[in-house]
Amino acid sequence: MRDQIEKYEARLLADRSAFPGKIAFAAQDDTLLADGNPELARLCGDVLSSLSCLGIVAARPSLPFADFLVRRAPRTESRIVPRDTETRTFLHDIPFLRREELGDAAAEKIALLLGNRKGVIVEGIGIVANGTVTVEHAYINYSSVFHAVFVKYLLDALAEGFLLPGERDAFRAFREEWLQPISAEGIPFRSGPLADTGEILEEIAAVGRHTVERGLVDSFFGNISYRSGNIVYISQTAASLDELPGRIDPVPMDNSSTTGITASSELLAHRRIYEASGASAILHGHPKFTVAMSMLCEEKDCPIKDCWKECDRVRSLAGAPVVAGEIGAGGLAKRVPPVISSPRKAVVYGHGVFTVGETGFAEPFRDMVALEGLCREEYFRRLDEKLSG
Amino acid sequence: MNGSPTIGWRGKLLHIDLARGTARTEDIPRDLLLGYLGGRGLGVRLLRETYHLDPFHPGMPLVFAVGPLCGTAAPTSARLAAVSRSPLTGTVYDCSAGGRFAYRLKASGYDAVRIVGKSPVPAILSITPAGAELSAAGALWGKPIGETVRALEGGGSVAAIGPAGENRVLFACIMMGEGNAIGRGGLGAVMGGKNLKAVVVDGDLPVAVADKTRFGRARQDVMRLFRASPVIFGELGIAEFGTPALVDLMRQRRMAPTENFRRTVFEGSGNYSGPAIRKAYRPKKDGCFGCPIQCKKSTQEGMHLPEYETVSHFGALNGIDDLHAIVRSNALCNELGMDTISAAATLAAWGEGRGRFPAAEEVEGLLADMGYRRGEGDLLAQASRRVAEAMGHPELSMSVKSLELPAYDPRGAYGMALAYCTSNRGGCHLRAYPISHEILRKPVATDRFSFSGKARIIKIAEDTNAAVDSLVACKFSFFGATLEEYAELLSAVTGEEYGPQMLKEIGERIYMTERFYNCANGFDARDDRLPARFFREPGSGGEGIEIPPIDEKRFEEELLKYYRIRGLTPEGAFSDPDFLGKLP
Ligand code: SF4
Ligand SMILES: [Zn+2]
Ligand SMILES: [Zn+2]
Repeated sequence: MRDQIEKYEARLLADRSAFPGKIAFAAQDDTLLADGNPELARLCGDVLSSLSCLGIVAARPSLPFADFLVRRAPRTESRIVPRDTETRTFLHDIPFLRREELGDAAAEKIALLLGNRKGVIVEGIGIVANGTVTVEHAYINYSSVFHAVFVKYLLDALAEGFLLPGERDAFRAFREEWLQPISAEGIPFRSGPLADTGEILEEIAAVGRHTVERGLVDSFFGNISYRSGNIVYISQTAASLDELPGRIDPVPMDNSSTTGITASSELLAHRRIYEASGASAILHGHPKFTVAMSMLCEEKDCPIKDCWKECDRVRSLAGAPVVAGEIGAGGLAKRVPPVISSPRKAVVYGHGVFTVGETGFAEPFRDMVALEGLCREEYFRRLDEKLSG
Repeated sequence: MNGSPTIGWRGKLLHIDLARGTARTEDIPRDLLLGYLGGRGLGVRLLRETYHLDPFHPGMPLVFAVGPLCGTAAPTSARLAAVSRSPLTGTVYDCSAGGRFAYRLKASGYDAVRIVGKSPVPAILSITPAGAELSAAGALWGKPIGETVRALEGGGSVAAIGPAGENRVLFACIMMGEGNAIGRGGLGAVMGGKNLKAVVVDGDLPVAVADKTRFGRARQDVMRLFRASPVIFGELGIAEFGTPALVDLMRQRRMAPTENFRRTVFEGSGNYSGPAIRKAYRPKKDGCFGCPIQCKKSTQEGMHLPEYETVSHFGALNGIDDLHAIVRSNALCNELGMDTISAAATLAAWGEGRGRFPAAEEVEGLLADMGYRRGEGDLLAQASRRVAEAMGHPELSMSVKSLELPAYDPRGAYGMALAYCTSNRGGCHLRAYPISHEILRKPVATDRFSFSGKARIIKIAEDTNAAVDSLVACKFSFFGATLEEYAELLSAVTGEEYGPQMLKEIGERIYMTERFYNCANGFDARDDRLPARFFREPGSGGEGIEIPPIDEKRFEEELLKYYRIRGLTPEGAFSDPDFLGKLP
């Protein structure tokens, strides 16, 4: 288990979601093991010992957005409700504890909340998340909360501006220091068509690693596939994009085998996209600015209440069509294929991007990078406009 | 608090004494409902005074219990648990089943029916909101399931035994009229021992929901997770192909038990895979009442098609690749009222023992002989452990606590290996169900060839599933949803606040109660053993996957760890003889 803890601590640092030195994990087997920042480790241990879970992580996020959201929330509230797809599907909402509620029984109070949820925000401490099955599970839940908070804060700041002392400075630091340019430069993509299975598997795995290393997606979110003849090679469900070797399922287009029951929940969407576009490569990820921007709808007096699943309009974002639709069998698979063919990319409301390539991954990778770049620019343009106006 | 009103639950138990021919309604104390939920938990709790009795003792109750979600629109919750002591394993035993019976039982005004005594003549029990009635089974005694159900279904939903139950075949099941089975563990024989041919229930009392808005939201959350789950609503998932969707996967993972677990890949498995069944039968969707998943499949004429474990065991385990013969074997077991897994596994053990597995065309005759206990069938009716012992080769029974292992080779998933042994009802895949993460990657993947962390994972999953079996919801829901959403449903229905951690604690109470009963009946660590084959012989590796024998020392270590985590002694026993006295 110690190796697991080390691995996921390194992950939190690599994807820059947690503050160096402010990370701790605990895991329990027949004994309890806590590691990392001593104070947080003690907290983790205390919380975990009263939960039926295998692992837990407590870390201070690398950005102060979670604390800001808590402090911006009305005094009567005890949870934040992000509206991105990831949260609506898996987290529902995120409970929080305010600094002054903690008192001396912090661990007890956190355990009580965490006994009901996958992750919580504790003001002044950070995000605490649990994993029923593995340490990785706790890491994934941390990532989900981090992602949700990131997207929600971007949207709230855009809607309401800065409300708290220190927010403006922190945001400037985020914009100028934390954010790094993303690019597809220097990645040696294989040019297609890829014929040999080994080559296909290697290329999918390499592309997955690049999406994470270039900061396009957090490692857990997204899926990748390549079609060769009658077979779609697709990343498995709950597989980290930077750990795909051995986690890619070959699925026949005609459903003559069900081995791919472990394939990504977006298998159906990928298949339909191949049928509609004639493409050979599909990249799907959840870059944060694109997700945030996709949720801004300018429509006035729209009768639709639940835009993320019910909106049947096709909007446009930086040259990409935006459609609604839930994960898996939830409508996304129906709405994306008809719009993706000629722009070679599509955005799903509150969810992420699909990009396609004729024969290889160079084109979809560049398109995803470009789209996220444009969304980032557009976000800051609107924010600046809002703050100055 | 006893006796105060409850929402969601009925708070009523129907007590039937077949020997006296009496029926009596009792209040179920509120703290038992809050603390054991329903289904498995409530049923197990209701055995506290009698768990030491022999399974065939007239005083041993057979309990049918529904849960607080039954009768609401909570997905996959129109289910019940049957609970008693198993004549096959000797352990306390519960088994969950769908169909309309559960929902009608709840609609007749009860959370549970407890049946004791032995009827002087074969009997039928009818339950409606107006009360219970016993009548003579007459000519129905001796009849197969289909005929019995057709004769009785005018009166409501039917749970019946076939010839196998009447003849006390040790793995006889109780069949629901809609084709669902209270399959494993021989509770059909318990019912037969009571001279009870069938129970018929009807009713139309609605179930109140404390907070409808909250309930609606929680239900939507569950449905969204179902749609996001490849295993449930994915194109290759169980809603499309039924559980035989696993045939191809288990073959690819090289863990499909073949020829009585001598090998783990069967060349002919493609003949009965999900796609093969679809091609041959053009099946329609079928399933439990009100379930949105509808994972069962049946022919256009309405005949039920077999589940994964059944096709694999009548197939690979016996070296048979004839789909139609497999489908007929399944249908015959359903008619006789016999567990398909134990029946097929018993044939395989017997086949290995005599040096020849049964041929496809022999199987039906052998199954009929088992059900009627004719000739060789009389021995086979006692299931694999007793058969293998009688043949002088006890090692050929691929069972744990006498319950035959289903179609997941433990050499291919170490959590499964451990879970077979720690399961309170013996070699069953559904207790901790590590296949979910070891193979299907839900909620996240774990390394199937590692024991690391598995003891704790198994413990948590056993507790979780004990709660699920008490709600009573279907395990398949949890390929998508989690206890979080089900706790919301439960809170919304009952108006009591439940959360995942609390449900796991309830599950732990239920699991430990069962373990305590078993220990008091003589079970200990020596019964938590896998057949030696798995530690000595490799499975069939290939295609880059190796299936070595399980490292026995490492296995032992993890089992001891499990006992420590459970607070048991190294012998797997309780140090506190008054353990039960401290529980509600
Ligand atoms: S998923 Fe299948 S077994 Fe479970 S309740 Fe639904 S139909 Fe029944
Ligand atoms: Zn996605
Ligand atoms: Zn809209």
